[in-house]
Amino acid sequence: MAELKKFLVRRMLTFIPTIIGITLIVFAIAYLIPADPARAWAGGEKASQKAIELVKERYHLNEPWYDQYIFLITGLIKNEIIDPRTSNPVMDDVGKRFPVTFQLALFAYFFVLAIGIPLGLISALKRDTAIDTFVRIFALIGVSTPVFWLGYILIYIFFVNIRIINLAGVPPSPEIVITHVPVIDSLITGNFELFRQHVARFWLPGFVLGFMGAGVVARFVRNSFLEAISGDYIEFLKAKGVPKLRVYRHAMKNSLVPIITVLGLQFGVLLSGAPITETVFGLPGIGLYAVFSIGTLDFPAIVAVTLLFALVYVIANLIVDIFYAVIDPRVRY
Amino acid sequence: MSKKILEVKNLTVHFYTYAGIVKAIEEVSFDVFEGETFALVGETGCGKSVTARAITQLIESPGRIVRGEVYYNPDGERLNLLELPDEEIRTIRGNDIAYIFQDPQSSLDPLYNVGYQVSESLFVHGRVKSIKDGIKKAVNILRTVLLPDPERRVSNYPHELSGGMKQRVTIGIGISNDPRILIADEPTTALDVTVQAQILWLIKEMKKRYGVTVILITHDMGVVADMADRVAVMYAGKIVEVAEVTEVFKNPVHPYTQGLLKAVPNPLKKIERLETIPGTVPSLINPPSGCRFHPRCPEISKVCKEKIPELREVKKNHFVACHNR
Repeated sequence: MAELKKFLVRRMLTFIPTIIGITLIVFAIAYLIPADPARAWAGGEKASQKAIELVKERYHLNEPWYDQYIFLITGLIKNEIIDPRTSNPVMDDVGKRFPVTFQLALFAYFFVLAIGIPLGLISALKRDTAIDTFVRIFALIGVSTPVFWLGYILIYIFFVNIRIINLAGVPPSPEIVITHVPVIDSLITGNFELFRQHVARFWLPGFVLGFMGAGVVARFVRNSFLEAISGDYIEFLKAKGVPKLRVYRHAMKNSLVPIITVLGLQFGVLLSGAPITETVFGLPGIGLYAVFSIGTLDFPAIVAVTLLFALVYVIANLIVDIFYAVIDPRVRY
Repeated sequence: MSKKILEVKNLTVHFYTYAGIVKAIEEVSFDVFEGETFALVGETGCGKSVTARAITQLIESPGRIVRGEVYYNPDGERLNLLELPDEEIRTIRGNDIAYIFQDPQSSLDPLYNVGYQVSESLFVHGRVKSIKDGIKKAVNILRTVLLPDPERRVSNYPHELSGGMKQRVTIGIGISNDPRILIADEPTTALDVTVQAQILWLIKEMKKRYGVTVILITHDMGVVADMADRVAVMYAGKIVEVAEVTEVFKNPVHPYTQGLLKAVPNPLKKIERLETIPGTVPSLINPPSGCRFHPRCPEISKVCKEKIPELREVKKNHFVACHNR
């Protein structure tokens, strides 16, 4: 256990250069873009020179790039930077919207797991049958369906025709805040009516966002399970007289390492897919916020969102690494 | 002579591949007597392993057991192993008929410690109540196969053991349920020569201690001379000669056996130089007509191309499948 702790600390330390690197890249892009953010923030074409100068002073835009970078990052961490578009502290805006996106990603992740893993297993067990072919075609469709297309088709079916979903607003958060994710909080606090409302609002966008991931995961589960089941140790297990289900359990555990890698990466993919899904379904999440920020050259907000996404991504990969170590004794940490 | 514990009759296994039907073994018949070491000898791809695996239906798709019977005769019973349903053959595997495979590096599941894997073989045959209960017995089993420091080794994972140690563990798994027959499929091929000697000694020791019948599969004539009581020589999916071990080395009858023995140093005869058998092993998708050895045989006659030779007893307990003998 002491080793695991050391490993965790070491991994956390590698976070720092990763995240600094990511923010630097985003900052460099923002800095080099041939646009004049000060003019945009001061009011666009009609902005007075005085206002522009004021904005430049406030956001240190006259300083060299490294001063600007340090001012921006420390300001974001201390939450002292006021968003030029919304006039709120940037991190307040982000903090308000992030739970919506995170909840959307959780719903999508649920569909990725609930569709991808069973389909992959069925496909592997019924290898080279009609079922396998069907699943593989489904996976191919899943991988290659654009989110916006699937989103509008399903809105047409469920909103326009069957009328069982709504597309306006988001149900309120429960009063007691524990995890900051409304659907989990309402479940923990036993507020089932609110839980139902959240599920009703999020299941379809979650499905749309998770559909592509489900296809990817189904393929990976199928291939890595087939690879595991053709191992020599599986034959030895059968020769030992181990019952079928137990043999499958060994194969499943052995196929888990590549599957978990993909699942970890999928979480990042879901976050980057969120802006389109949120736009299509009118969810006030961070993806939509990022899209608006890009449109208005709102660089502090863009850097803040990138920072957050990078953190989530890095944490997801850390969790994957911990799972590796738990599953596979050959992994040294 | 003691009783027949295993009778294999006309065993035929085909593999249905895209390239065509691979006739891996064709009409293979032999008997194994209780308490003996029976060796199946032949070069790579001649069907030794397929034969051994087919005995307990361990043939995976695209392979299929097309024909044949395998009678297993434990006390007073006569079971056709190829007719048993999945669940019944499972209780025979590992319990009555146990296996050791060629490559100990890949025979063990890398994700479980060796104690678990030994204990599991006890657990699935109902000898212990849980995997945890079996660990203590696993320590004793690992001690009998002379794994050093078994109390500590049970919690080691396969990658932490050497090849020889892993093969000791798989032998331990093999004998854990005190089987009647132990099928060792090239148990020493993947090991160093010094370790090979230790493992062969261990198999002999286990045989002495548990009185288990051993079916040894190998391509190594040295191992055959060291271990076997009787030998069956296989060529291209057929058995060509069956006899006692000294008889095979002293008076080989089939041209293939003769060629094979000229290709290796023979402890019973002085040989000036080693010879090779001309040609290569035939494709088993379109095997040669008649005797499968005829394209490479130095004594070929007309009948060899037309008629498949049957195993005939040319001397007492010495069977040969050849038209010219």
